[in-house]
Amino acid sequence: MKVVITGIGAVSGFGWGVEKLWRGLESGATSIREPSVFDVEGQRTTLVAEVGPPGPDAQAEIDDLRNLSRADVFAVIAAREALVRAGVDAGGPRTGVFCGGSTAGMAECEDFVGRIVGVHPGKPTLRLLASQQLNGPGDAVARDIGACGPVIGFSSACASGAMALGAALEAVRSGDVDMALAGGADSLCRLTYSGFNALRSVDPGVCRPFRRERQGLSLGEGAGMLVLEPLDRAVARGAEPLAELAGYGASCDAYHMTAPHPKGDGALAAMKAALRDAGLESLDVGAVNAHGTGTPHNDQSESCALRRLLGERALEVPLTAPKGALGHVLGAAGALEAVASVLALECGTIFPTAGSTPADPDFGIDLVLDEGREMFRGKQTWISTNFAFGGANAALVIRGLV
Amino acid sequence: MTQQELIRERLKKLIIESLNLEGMTPEMIENDAPLFGDGLGLDSVDALELVVALEKEFSIRIEGEETTREAFASVSAMAAFIDGLNE
Amino acid sequence: MKVVISGLGVVMPGAWGWDEAESLFSAADPKPVDIDRSAGYHREGGSRKALLVDSGRMGEWLSPMAARRMSQASRFAVCASLMAFHDAGLKPQSEEGTTAVVMGTTYGAAFVTEKILRQILLEGPESVSPALFTESVANAPAAQIALAVGAKGANTTVTQRQASVIAALKQGVGLLMRGVADRVLVGVVDEMAPLLHSILDRFGGLARPEHNGAEVGRPFDARGSGWMGADGAAVTLLEPEDIVRRRGGSFRARVLGAGMAFDPGAPRSGWGTVPGPRAKALRAFLVENAVSPRVIDRVVCSAGGLPEADRLEARMIREVLGDGSLPPVLAPAASVGNHGAALLAGSVLAAAGATFGPTPGFGVPDREAGIIPHDGRTLPAPETVLMTVCAPGGSAGWALMARGLEV
Repeated sequence: MKVVITGIGAVSGFGWGVEKLWRGLESGATSIREPSVFDVEGQRTTLVAEVGPPGPDAQAEIDDLRNLSRADVFAVIAAREALVRAGVDAGGPRTGVFCGGSTAGMAECEDFVGRIVGVHPGKPTLRLLASQQLNGPGDAVARDIGACGPVIGFSSACASGAMALGAALEAVRSGDVDMALAGGADSLCRLTYSGFNALRSVDPGVCRPFRRERQGLSLGEGAGMLVLEPLDRAVARGAEPLAELAGYGASCDAYHMTAPHPKGDGALAAMKAALRDAGLESLDVGAVNAHGTGTPHNDQSESCALRRLLGERALEVPLTAPKGALGHVLGAAGALEAVASVLALECGTIFPTAGSTPADPDFGIDLVLDEGREMFRGKQTWISTNFAFGGANAALVIRGLV
Repeated sequence: MTQQELIRERLKKLIIESLNLEGMTPEMIENDAPLFGDGLGLDSVDALELVVALEKEFSIRIEGEETTREAFASVSAMAAFIDGLNE
Repeated sequence: MKVVISGLGVVMPGAWGWDEAESLFSAADPKPVDIDRSAGYHREGGSRKALLVDSGRMGEWLSPMAARRMSQASRFAVCASLMAFHDAGLKPQSEEGTTAVVMGTTYGAAFVTEKILRQILLEGPESVSPALFTESVANAPAAQIALAVGAKGANTTVTQRQASVIAALKQGVGLLMRGVADRVLVGVVDEMAPLLHSILDRFGGLARPEHNGAEVGRPFDARGSGWMGADGAAVTLLEPEDIVRRRGGSFRARVLGAGMAFDPGAPRSGWGTVPGPRAKALRAFLVENAVSPRVIDRVVCSAGGLPEADRLEARMIREVLGDGSLPPVLAPAASVGNHGAALLAGSVLAAAGATFGPTPGFGVPDREAGIIPHDGRTLPAPETVLMTVCAPGGSAGWALMARGLEV
C-alpha cells in the first residue's frame, strides 16, 4: 500500500507557515540570528533560530491557545495548517497522532523551578507545568482535532520527528489508522541551550554544515506536521497527494553516548533499511536531505556513510543541509525537514544550503548552494537523515509522485 | 606537603568526585599516568566535565581544545597548568 | 508470527528479578520510605513517602565504573535489560541477528533535569555538567541499553504518560512483525526525584498521609487519596515464538496484541468521568483480536489509588467486560507504586501463573468505582490476561497476554 502525504504545516525560524519556510529555504538565507525573546545571558554562544511573532491574524488564533506551552502551540498551528492543505476534517477513532519532541513544556518548567528556588519572580503556579510532559504537543494536537485513535509521543532527541513519521507510516500501512497526523515540535529552552554549550557543541557563529571551518551546531525551534493517508483513500476523497512517504529505517550505533560511529556504520544501516522498506536501492536516491548539524563529528561520519551508500555516485547526488537555515530543531527536526523535502518536490527545486562556502572537498559530496538546483518533476527520491544523541538513527524515503 | 603536592591531591579528589569514579581513591591515581585513552580511560565528555569542575574549583577560565589536551594529559600536567594560570 | 516474552527483567521497589517480584506480589506488603525533602520543594501536610528501588543491589549487574555516568533511570533500565537476557537464557553482545530497543517513560530523566536546572538557575549556564546533559534526554536509557547489550537495531523511546508501556509494546511487536529485528527489548523506566515528587503532590496525585502518618495506595478503595510515587524499570525480551522453540528455550508469556486510543474530551491533566469513548475503543480492540470478553480470565490494571483515575478505569473495564462477570482484577501499583514497570511486570507474572496476594491497601470498596480487586484467594493460572491503563490527558492502552511455555 502506498502511503501519501496530503498536507503539510510548519513553524520555523523563518516564520509561521510553509510559505515562509519555503521562501526562506529557497533564498539560501538563514534564520539563525540574535534572539529577541530567548534569554542567552551567561551562555557561551548567542545565536538561535528563534520563531518570531506571527502576523496579526495568526496572533489571534494563537492567543486562543494561551493555556498551552510554546511547543504545544507550534504543534497545533502546524497541524491545523497541514489539515487545511489536506482539505480534510480529521478526527475520530481512525485518526492517530504521532509526535516527536525533546523539550515539550521545559521552558515553562524552567520558570516554575526558577520561582521555586527563588531566582525568578512570581509564585510557582501549577499552570506553568500543565503541559510540561513530553507528550504535551501530540496530546494538544489530538485534542484540537478530536483524534480518538492511537496518540503517541516520541522522545529520542534529534531523531524524534523522524521516528514519529516512521511510526505513523507503519500505523497507516497496517490499517491501525486511516489517517495520521505526524510530526514534531520543540521550543528553545535554557536546559538544552546550556547543555549543548556545556558539551562545546555549539558554533559561536551560524552553523556551517559540511564545511571545513564548521565548529558546531546552531539551535532552533519550531514544528513540522504532515498528514499521512493511504493513497487510494486520498484519491477517493478527491485529495491531491503532495508526495509519498515511501520508507523508514532505523538503527543504533551502540558506540558512544555522544559521538557517532566514525565510519557512520549505524547511519548507513538506517539509510539502507529505509530504502529496503521503500522497495528501493541506493541507485534510486535522487537527493539527500542531510542531518548535517555542523558538528565536526557528525558531518564527518555522515558524509562517510553517504559515500558508502552512494558509492561512485556520491558526487552526483545533490545534498542539502537545512540546519544551516533552520538551526537544529531537535525533536522537530525530522518532521520539519521532511516538510522541506515535500516542498522541494512540489516546487521542483532542491533548495540550497545556507551560506556560500563550498563543502569540505574531502567529504566527496555535492553540496547544493546559491540558487538551488532544479529537480525533474516526477519520481524524485529523497533520503532524509536524522542521527540522535545516544546513537539512535532514523532515515526517511520521500518520493515525488508522477 | 609542597604547594604542588597539595594541588595534585586536590586534583585527584576532584577527578574522582566530578567523574563519579566510585571506589577509587587518590592513592590509586599516579601523578604522571595518562588520564585519557589508556591509563584511566577517560573520554571527551570526561574532559569537558573536568573543565567545568576545574573552572569552579579554582575560579579560572579554560579555553581551547588544544590547551585542554596538553593540560589534561596527567595530574602533574594539570597541576602545572593551573599553577601557570595563577601566576 | 507469534510474539512471546522470553525474558523479563525487573528492578522495582522491593524486587530485583523474577523470583523477588513473585514473592513481592504474593506477600503484597509494600514498604514506602521517606523521600528526600531537604531541598524544600515539598508543601506542608503533603505526601512525604514513595516506593523506591534499593539501588544498592545494582552491583550485581553493573559495575560502578560502567555506571558512573548513567542516570538512575539508565542504571535501572540497563540492569533490567541484562536481567531480561539472562532470564531468556541468552548472552548480551553475543547473540546473532539484530536486537532492537523500545523503551517508554512517563517522566523522563527527573533527577538529572532537576540537577541541571538548579545548576543553571543557581550557578549560571556555564556550570552545567556536560555528562549530566547527555543523560537528560529521554532516550538515554535506551541508548545505554544498546551499548550494554550491543543492540544495533532500531532504538526508540516513547512517552505517552502512563500509557507509555503499551506504546512501547505496540512498537516492539511491530518491529518483529515487520522482520526488521530478531529480538526486541521492550520496557519502561521512571525515576522519582524529590522535585517531581513534590510536583505530583501539588497536583493532588499522591496519597496523602493518613491519621497514623502512613501513606498508602488504595486502588478502588473509598479511602483512596492518590498514588504512591515510585521508581523502577521492567524490561521484557520479545522474540518470535518459533525462534525460541528452535533453540529449545521457554517463554514466560505470549503477547497477543496491543492497542491504544485517546479521548479528546478528557481534561488535559485528568481522566474525566466519561468512560464511553475509551470503552468503545477497548471493545473494538478485543473484536479485532478475536477475543471475546468472556474468555478474559484475569485483568491487570493501572489503578493505584487515585480516585478519579481508578473510577474511570473501573467503569471502562466494567463497561466492556460486563458488571456481573468480572474476572479477578489485579492492581500491581498497590504493591510497587504507580509506574509502567508495575503494570508490565504484574501482567507478565500474571500471565505466567504467578500467585498474587490480597491487594494491599484495599479494604473499603469505592462504590463509584465498583470493582473489588483480587483478595488473595488461590486462582487457577489464567489463559488470557487483559492489561489496561488509563493515563491522565485521555490516553488509554491495553494489551492481551497469554500463558507462556515452561520447558
